[in-house]
Amino acid sequence: MALSFKNIAPFLVIDENKTSRLFSYFGLGIGVLLLLCSVQLYININQLMKERNPKKSNYDFISITKRITDQNMGQDHSFTAADLQDIKSQRFISDATPLLANKFIVSASGGPALPFTTDIFLEAIDNDFIDTIPPSFKWKEGDNVVPIIISSDYLELYNTVFAPSRDLPQISQNTVGALMLELECSGVFGTKIFKGNIVALSDRINSVIVPKNFLEWANRSIANLPSGNATRVYIKTTDANNVAFLDYLQSKDYQVNKDKTRFGRVKQVLQAVVSGLGIFAILVILLAMMLFSFYLQLMIARSKDNLQLLLTLGYSPGWLSNTVSKKWVPVYVTIIVVALTATQAFQYFFQQGFLNGRDDLSPYIHWTILAIAFILIILCIGVNYRLIKRALFNL
Amino acid sequence: MQIIIKKLAPVFLEKEKIAQSDIWNKDISFNKGEKIQLVAPSGSGKTSFVHFLYGMRKDYTGAAFLNDSEISKMNAEQTAAMRSNQMSIVFQDLRLFTEHSAMENIAVKRVLNPFGEDSITEMAERLGIASKLKQHAGICSYGERQRIAIIRALQQPFDFIVLDEPFSHLDEANSKKALALIEEEVVKRGAGIILADLEPVSFYKADRTIHL
Repeated sequence: MALSFKNIAPFLVIDENKTSRLFSYFGLGIGVLLLLCSVQLYININQLMKERNPKKSNYDFISITKRITDQNMGQDHSFTAADLQDIKSQRFISDATPLLANKFIVSASGGPALPFTTDIFLEAIDNDFIDTIPPSFKWKEGDNVVPIIISSDYLELYNTVFAPSRDLPQISQNTVGALMLELECSGVFGTKIFKGNIVALSDRINSVIVPKNFLEWANRSIANLPSGNATRVYIKTTDANNVAFLDYLQSKDYQVNKDKTRFGRVKQVLQAVVSGLGIFAILVILLAMMLFSFYLQLMIARSKDNLQLLLTLGYSPGWLSNTVSKKWVPVYVTIIVVALTATQAFQYFFQQGFLNGRDDLSPYIHWTILAIAFILIILCIGVNYRLIKRALFNL
Repeated sequence: MQIIIKKLAPVFLEKEKIAQSDIWNKDISFNKGEKIQLVAPSGSGKTSFVHFLYGMRKDYTGAAFLNDSEISKMNAEQTAAMRSNQMSIVFQDLRLFTEHSAMENIAVKRVLNPFGEDSITEMAERLGIASKLKQHAGICSYGERQRIAIIRALQQPFDFIVLDEPFSHLDEANSKKALALIEEEVVKRGAGIILADLEPVSFYKADRTIHL
């Protein structure tokens, strides 16, 4: 007959303090359930928020500005090189680039086909940040034609508001490239006239974009000014709803298009609530484990004489620790598996009941939950083993 | 297999007693297969000596070895292995689980590292305690408890069996039966006996008698 726990069980006082033992099991179960559910909820929130904010590329592009308030109106709100460096160094920001602006007066007219004149502004940005770059978006000194990329929103505004009010013809996306605008640029060095050709529309950048080298040349040659610091910076990030990203913007008091980060803000609050729940769950688990450790210590103290005699008779302390602690392995496994099953049930009802079976959320628990449950089992067994071993070796 | 004693002396024992002893502060060895009688009057450190050999106490100078292993330097696992495999013991104070039956007391030792066929009942019959096997050790007489402890000590393999006043509460007839059983089991293992008592045990034919 192989030596087993059964042989030494009669010499241990196990069945006393049943209530505290059962309470610790119950507490452990509740704690694990809370922890697993809160982690699953955390994952659900990330999943749902991400899905609601589809992206054309793998990145979000967002323009930020320094906030202008009643107190700081009139001050310089441009981004310094240090500001830009700091922004670029954040791990959640893949890249950032300033939007350079014109330092001279620009007016655009539509020529004979579109008889209107309006003051406009020009901006320039690194080509990497523009979503639609045709090969013709190039300019070199001496060229009279300047390629322009405008926001597709502007064309929509022109067609729906501006053109009808002035009895001008509406323009389709395909024909806009055929238009030649007249750009009149005036500064201290006089006035220069260029042809402006709209070569593309951008869904991403809400501006009138010209090639960077043109704007730098024009600022210098027409306004006699360097392009200087930008007041707008474009940020490239993998997730505009990243909570750390939003926290950073808030800490710097940078202003951003709220709509682009709306889900991120909701997510920020939900994640904080769920994280709080997770911390509470960890506390419950710790308390339950402490209660169980008290029970174990009491059991060992009450069985002290018998355990000492077993050691005197030649029982190995290592074998005793192993065997006594193994006794609770099925208990821990059962508690955690029950909590895991309950988490699965919760996830199923959350997806089916609350979200009516939306297919952007799985009705099954995430693999992380399984991993956490596994780690918890190992942790409980490890803590239990160490506790018993220490108590036995101290006898 | 040998027990080797090198200048062993308890730190608490008076110098005069150490000087008069054949063991304390001397170099001496016990060989496997040898029958040793240790005669030790009260207060000479007999039980301490037994505990030193069994690795239960370390309050001594000098050293005791089981072959090459210094007993005081064994770790908990090595000590456990020695107790379950190389050295068996009958304590003077018996050390039984008083809340458990005689059978449970013996079986818990047997299951650890059993030697030979299970003959607990036969042994109990030979020593006249078969009817006490199911009785709690705590309510057995001291003599009955001594016999339970002796049977318990014979359940494992060993190279030496150390007996500390094993027959103190037994009449001569029962003592002889117990000694006969012990000697039979010792022969099966080719082991040695170290029997310690206050006076020489007349019916014990020792190879060597040493005065502590």
